[in-house]
Amino acid sequence: MPATVKEKSKNTAPSPKVRKSKFQADLAPSEDSMVRVLKAELQMTSNTDFLSDALALFRWAVSERRRGHIIVSESSTGERKILVLPRLERVAPQVALPHVDIQWNDKELESLAKLASGQPAQPTRALVRAMRH
Amino acid sequence: MAVTIRHLEEFDEVESFDCGDEALNNYLKRHALTNQQKSSIGVTYVALDESAPRAVLGYFTLATSSVPRDSLPKKYVRGLPPYDLPLILLARLAVDRRFAGRGLGDALITEAFKITLRVADEVGCRCIVTDAYRDRVGWYAKYGFIPIEGTARDGPRKMFLDVRTIRAALKSGSVQE
Repeated sequence: MPATVKEKSKNTAPSPKVRKSKFQADLAPSEDSMVRVLKAELQMTSNTDFLSDALALFRWAVSERRRGHIIVSESSTGERKILVLPRLERVAPQVALPHVDIQWNDKELESLAKLASGQPAQPTRALVRAMRH
Repeated sequence: MAVTIRHLEEFDEVESFDCGDEALNNYLKRHALTNQQKSSIGVTYVALDESAPRAVLGYFTLATSSVPRDSLPKKYVRGLPPYDLPLILLARLAVDRRFAGRGLGDALITEAFKITLRVADEVGCRCIVTDAYRDRVGWYAKYGFIPIEGTARDGPRKMFLDVRTIRAALKSGSVQE
């Protein structure tokens, strides 16, 4: 039986080294104290874990606002508070409307499709006047 | 009277609102806020007098909807993009009858058109659709709404207005009676 030789693959790329970035922040004494209290409450010992969790929460909040969702806390008695953070509002769409289903019959769908696929009508005088306001 | 239009809020005074139609009154008083805040079924915008900024003088409700492309007749879909047809539903519009005839309806529908254009710019929509009471079809037609054929004879009439028409109205001064 011929001896098998394991050929070393020439294509094996070295695994990329994950670069870690350092994060340094100048905190006011009150903020520093807040971080310490929060870490104690959350039973966290490292700043890295703290930052990682804070980042995950912030990322979620941004994604929710980007989808137009509001972020609400609700007490056991139903009292609701909406989180409003000016920076988050930068990613929120200007208009967020809910989606509903409309019941259409076949004739309505045909008429709708005909209208939507055709050339748009010229605006009426009342519409032009309305849009000037 | 200086009028402001904004989202319906929790402490707005809606109990005295009377547009003469019980269903529209009841919607504002009982359902509009819940639908907006909890159920996410529609967003209600209210017109308020700046001197009494909690008393609701008129309102309209908007939602988005879409029609699946495969539910549309094939002979027309060629003129449409290969996606479901996104649209805005103008679900309700009403003015308190004590303030009728002062242009509040015009102000409300104008705001609805502007919101429609913003939605079209942000997430896309092809048209605005409303269910008009039979005696209000002419009022909506004044703004260019076209009746959709096939709606039941006794119920509200579905009407259509192309977003491109609204955009043209914004840009152009050309008019058609």
